[in-house]
Amino acid sequence: MTEIETSAAPASETNIKPPNASPVEVVSRRPSTGTPFTRILGIATLVSMALLVLFGLFLSPEDIVQGESVRILYIHVGTVWVAYVAFGLTALSSLAFLWKRTTSLTWDRIAGASAEVGVLFMALTLFAGAIWGRLSWGKFWVWDARVTTTAFLFITYIGYLAVRGLGGSHQQRGRRSAVVALLAVLEIPLVHFSVKLWRGLHQDGSVSDTTKVKLHDLMLFSLFISLIAFTLLFVWLVIHRQRVLAMQDAMDDKGLDYALEQRRSEAGL
Amino acid sequence: MRLVAMQDVGFILATYVATFIGSIALAAYYLRRGRRLADQLPPEDKPWA
Amino acid sequence: MFRVARLIAAKDLRIEVRSRVVTNQVLPFATIVMVMFAFALKTDEVVEKVAPGLVWLATLFSLLILVQRAFAVETADGATEAMRAAGVDPAGIFLGKALALAAQLAVLELLLLILAVVLYSAKLHAGGIVLLVTTLLAATCGLALVGTLYGGLAAGVRGRETLLPLLLLPVVAPVLIGATRATEAALGTSGAVVSDGWPWLGLLGVFVALFSVGGTLAFGPLIEE
Repeated sequence: MTEIETSAAPASETNIKPPNASPVEVVSRRPSTGTPFTRILGIATLVSMALLVLFGLFLSPEDIVQGESVRILYIHVGTVWVAYVAFGLTALSSLAFLWKRTTSLTWDRIAGASAEVGVLFMALTLFAGAIWGRLSWGKFWVWDARVTTTAFLFITYIGYLAVRGLGGSHQQRGRRSAVVALLAVLEIPLVHFSVKLWRGLHQDGSVSDTTKVKLHDLMLFSLFISLIAFTLLFVWLVIHRQRVLAMQDAMDDKGLDYALEQRRSEAGL
Repeated sequence: MRLVAMQDVGFILATYVATFIGSIALAAYYLRRGRRLADQLPPEDKPWA
Repeated sequence: MFRVARLIAAKDLRIEVRSRVVTNQVLPFATIVMVMFAFALKTDEVVEKVAPGLVWLATLFSLLILVQRAFAVETADGATEAMRAAGVDPAGIFLGKALALAAQLAVLELLLLILAVVLYSAKLHAGGIVLLVTTLLAATCGLALVGTLYGGLAAGVRGRETLLPLLLLPVVAPVLIGATRATEAALGTSGAVVSDGWPWLGLLGVFVALFSVGGTLAFGPLIEE
């Protein structure tokens, strides 16, 4: 990491206060990864999350069979959807990067950002799923195809993030991680199928199919809000992370000389 | 009748809280890194702004 | 491509014959692992039931060391860079190293099978021999291909010792599941019948197909600068 900590605020032009600026104006003029679009997106995310809490925890009814524990599904379904979308995006971006290897590292950065966010949501999914399992079947874990494949993906993408941190040029990073991501995606059906075949010999398959919930309108609506809210959150997180990665890469490229120059210009040399 | 309803509530709330804390923490981390890097780089490296 | 592969495989195997790292270190390691499994499990009954799984677990752990070794010989003198600079076909390098790795794995697996018969009272019977041999072949190919691919990825990079297991073990999960189930069928453990085993062989076949194509394509970009 070549980030340099500064104790005094650097004198970039956007930080200079105009004489009569109100605090609000100055705050919003501080450089960041935000744009008007992301601000609107962020507000939409917060609103839909609030609605999710409202409907998920309060307004929707308990389930006839599952009772209150169905409320966990409003989180779980949202996070698992986003986790898979995230990894799909990582795979597609990796493909795009390998396709046009010499042009844009943006694809590589999108892949990395998406994977990082995906890992978070995968962890949340496994967590909520374990709690839900504990409440519904008395067990935190079950060795069926869906759950096991999800755990497999989680570990695989942690490995992916480790590969991204190996060092070397940005191009190398892009190539290495793209290969890992694509192989991981191709392996998903393989792992899923092998676990299904394996566990199919025992009768545990029935446990994972007990989510045939009879869906009341409000419950359906809550699930819908969950998908929307988490998707918005996902997009917001990936956009910001992608921009941070872009700046980090720029920082790496510019390196020490740039930082030294900045310090020199601040000191007025 | 679900006899364990009260314990369930604890688990359910814990799930929601953990999810939101996790998301907010990641978001805060990205925003802070973003601000710090953006302070140090010239506008040409920030094409979105 | 095949000429290059043969040359590279021959080179790797010659290095092994001369240095005897596998025979002196990896095989003893695998033996110790098999013994420790027995320590960890409570009764003979349990051990006999899980014997096929233990054999494949021991194989996987030894695979990690074999892969490290396979690429340590390259990075020690910058051989990979030299080969790349000389324009050697990367697909050939990939296949060659995979071939050498497969040969070493095969020797390892034979030893582990013998140990299973001796230590875990595993019983070989004539009806399951074909299934057993085909399983060994398929699993060996699969592991060798995956190992070479990820070994190449992690080669010459700092932190690779800890990264390789993290990358490799999840990826070979289908092989572990498939090979173990097929071996159980071949040996008749826990009441498994030979005919149970063939679907698993299909799974292993798909794995080999996926990684032979994928590996050949991906190896080049991976070792490029």
